[in-house]
Amino acid sequence: MDLLQGTLDLLVLQTLAAGSAHGHAIAQSIESRSKEILQVGHGSLYPALQRLLKQGLILADDGQSDNNRKARFYRLTAKGRRRLLLETSKWREFSTAIGYILTPPSGETN
Amino acid sequence: MTWWRRRSDRLDDEMQQHIDFETEQNIAAGMPPGEARSAALRKFGNVSLAKEESREVWGWLWLERLWQDTVYGLRGLVHTPGSTIVALLSLMLGIGASTSLFSVIYGVLIAPYPYKNPDQIWAPAVISPKEPSNGWHQYRRRELLAIRNLPGVATAMATTYESTLLTGTDSPESFYGVLVTGNAFDFLGVKPLIGRTIEPFDIRPDGTPEPVVVLNYRFWQRKFNGDSNAIGQKLILNDVPRTVIGVMPPRFGWFTDDAFWLPMGMDLADETPLNAIVRLRPGITKEVAEQQLQSLNVQLAAEKPQNFPKGGFRSTLLNYLDITVASGAMKSSLHLLLVAVGFLLLIACVNVANLQLARTTARAREIAVRLSVGASRPRLIRQLLTESILLSVLGGALGILFAIGATRAIAALMPDFYKPNEARITMNVYVLVFSLAVSLVTGILFGLTPAFRCSRPDLAGTLKDGGRGAVGSASGQKVRGWLVAAEVALSVILLAGASLAIRSFAQLSQIDPGFQPQKTLMVDVPLPPKRYATLERRNTFARSLLESVSGLPGVEAAALGNGGMPFGGPRSAYSIDGQLPAEDRRIVVSFISSDYPRALGITLKRGRTLTAQEVADGTHVALINQTAAKLWTAGESPIGRRIRINLLSNPGRPQLLVPTGVTPDVTIVGILGDTTNAGLREATLPGVYVPYTLLAPPSRVLALRTFGDPMTVLNAVRQKVRELDKDQPLSQPITLKEILGFQTVQPRFNMALFSTFAALGLALAAIGIYSVISYGVAQRMHEIGVRMALGARRGDVLAIVLRMVAKVAAIGLAIGLVGSMALERIVRFQVFAATSFDAIALAGIVVVLSIVALLAAWLPARRAARLDPVAALRHEA
Repeated sequence: MDLLQGTLDLLVLQTLAAGSAHGHAIAQSIESRSKEILQVGHGSLYPALQRLLKQGLILADDGQSDNNRKARFYRLTAKGRRRLLLETSKWREFSTAIGYILTPPSGETN
Repeated sequence: MTWWRRRSDRLDDEMQQHIDFETEQNIAAGMPPGEARSAALRKFGNVSLAKEESREVWGWLWLERLWQDTVYGLRGLVHTPGSTIVALLSLMLGIGASTSLFSVIYGVLIAPYPYKNPDQIWAPAVISPKEPSNGWHQYRRRELLAIRNLPGVATAMATTYESTLLTGTDSPESFYGVLVTGNAFDFLGVKPLIGRTIEPFDIRPDGTPEPVVVLNYRFWQRKFNGDSNAIGQKLILNDVPRTVIGVMPPRFGWFTDDAFWLPMGMDLADETPLNAIVRLRPGITKEVAEQQLQSLNVQLAAEKPQNFPKGGFRSTLLNYLDITVASGAMKSSLHLLLVAVGFLLLIACVNVANLQLARTTARAREIAVRLSVGASRPRLIRQLLTESILLSVLGGALGILFAIGATRAIAALMPDFYKPNEARITMNVYVLVFSLAVSLVTGILFGLTPAFRCSRPDLAGTLKDGGRGAVGSASGQKVRGWLVAAEVALSVILLAGASLAIRSFAQLSQIDPGFQPQKTLMVDVPLPPKRYATLERRNTFARSLLESVSGLPGVEAAALGNGGMPFGGPRSAYSIDGQLPAEDRRIVVSFISSDYPRALGITLKRGRTLTAQEVADGTHVALINQTAAKLWTAGESPIGRRIRINLLSNPGRPQLLVPTGVTPDVTIVGILGDTTNAGLREATLPGVYVPYTLLAPPSRVLALRTFGDPMTVLNAVRQKVRELDKDQPLSQPITLKEILGFQTVQPRFNMALFSTFAALGLALAAIGIYSVISYGVAQRMHEIGVRMALGARRGDVLAIVLRMVAKVAAIGLAIGLVGSMALERIVRFQVFAATSFDAIALAGIVVVLSIVALLAAWLPARRAARLDPVAALRHEA
């Protein structure tokens, strides 16, 4: 299943809420947490990361990966955390609303 | 850029590492290494796309893309050198030619003066139905004061000039000193270069002028070597020492471009006619001012009827610009030339549009391919835009260079007498910017059309279309065909204009002036009026001069005449014995010596010429021209009849001396052939020739018919004059041929400009035809190959190409001819009076255009005919 437009940023923020991570780890995390339903084209992660960096929602530092290799780690800023809360609640409202519409009213079922 | 590079590299590394991690993970999961890597790559997706999107977020991508597009565009331009060169040439000629030609027109005709608001200067004129040639009315000093007091007039100034002798320097020299009222410089609004100008206080309350003088720039350069210490020095002018108070800038030449300005005394009894000009009060219309002027003129005419035409008149105000530069025919040809400039620019734009259409349409397939493999539409448009802008900017730069060069060249080549002495030809920046903008916008717009056309969803169609050149882009070819037809039509119109200009010039050159202009030298001999104060002294000098130069070697005939000859001279009221006095009519009076007809080459028709004795004695005899002979009723010979020339007893100007107590009647002894005595283009006026001894102006003209080059006798003449009076200079040596040349300046100017326009238009049209045909051939390469493979001969292929040319040229010719006919009706009467198209001119245009069209199509046609069918068929494969 492909991602909805614009949701990748939210997923990246959510992933980073758990702690800093490098690009590959973020992609892995999104895939595994969505129970492999969401397929992220790993390449598209990078424009998203650049976008979030530019907006000041995340920061990037150099660090060591699990297998002791140099990698770029991303972490949430305070602004990013606030944005995550805001976007999350908006997303909930939105998906609830969509859910209402897509769920057939109980009275009409046979 | 290094920072940018580093960030870019780091992103690359990061992505590479990402793929590495994924590969390692896959290997750990048990995949073979090769498969693990390709699986990782698959999962990552399009690496370059990810890079590009990431960089786009950084916001600097546009610069990088611009660079890319520029390099790509340059490569494209270099790759198609033919069409690039043609497009650049077209832009260069279009921008350069229209700018430089407009600059000339602007400098010479639209803004020739350095004065403040020259379009608000008005010259009072009196128009009488009986004397239609009467224009700018000359007022007397007293009348000028009355004009100043008119409620609608804000300010009025007046000018006259007098022959002024400069002495006290190495050699005496004669000038026309310009007398101006005290407010003149303020009126004209020009500041001095150094010192001050003439001010109202330079005329004392009693009306006498202060002895001051303001110098013309050239005079200052010549006499003072441009030294600013000239201020305060004395010049002896007509024996009066005058103080130099100022020098005017180079671009100021009010009534003189080599002398000086003097304050005009306001002796109200002085009846010298003045050239008056006025500026109106704000809010006063020309009509209101004319009414006020009319009532004043009526009042003045009641006091001094001789100063106004008899039998009623109408007062008008003539715009100074109109009467001096853009007068009559000039104004219409000005409009015509402006239209021609517009046409030229239009043709250039059509060419650019056409070439852009051709080059980009040829790439329709490339564009379609790029779109189908995922290039975004804005990205493609941006790419095409970059290329168009690149081409336009290069062409524009060339255009600017060409405009600068051409304007300088024209300014340098244009003879001085083509333009008012204050006109300056400089490149007009506004027009340059305008034509740059127009051509650039055209280039850019038409460079973009295929991008929009190809972005239609019908990619498959375009791909197929592009794959089979035989189909071509039918609608595109049609548009181009029409554009070139329009171009041909425009150049037909320009050619037609040029043919009219050439013919009008040719007609003028063929006019027989009535005299022989070859080998005739004319020199002014201005006597200082105060030193030669009496009629006798002036006439004695004249007779001695004539005698001494007549014997000079190289001189065939010598004669004296009056200023203005041969195209004018004083006009006088006259009456003929036995006829009612014709008060409103005027006759041109020439004051001549006996050899005048021989020196000027005027034929004697009947009777005899004046004898030397008659001239010396001042006998009241006269010659008349053929036009004047018609004043007598048919069958009646004027010879032996008497005519009264009012001027002979009442010359009206204090410096014109006549013998006292004479009757102004003269007896006609001969009839001379008509000369164009009112200008080459005007009808001949009645003219009468009387002995010069009957009236003595300070200045006479000496005419010498020579055996060889007329200028070679000049020094000998100067020597003779010096022998007679060591302080007496000559001025203005000129040949009769040059005087005749002045008369044809205007039509020659028209001819030169129009021919240049037409030649440029033709060149641009040829470029247009070349580009559209060569593009058409390229498009139909495949088709031509198929035809040749099936047995078509070279002739058949040529015929295909020629048909394309013929169609375009024929349509263009037809439209152009109809257009010129329509225009001709409008301009014929205004600009090129008495000329009209004839069959020869039209046929000439058709022939010239056909030849140009064929030449332009020749290269592409030959290319098509020499086509190797196998190569042609492979062309699209």
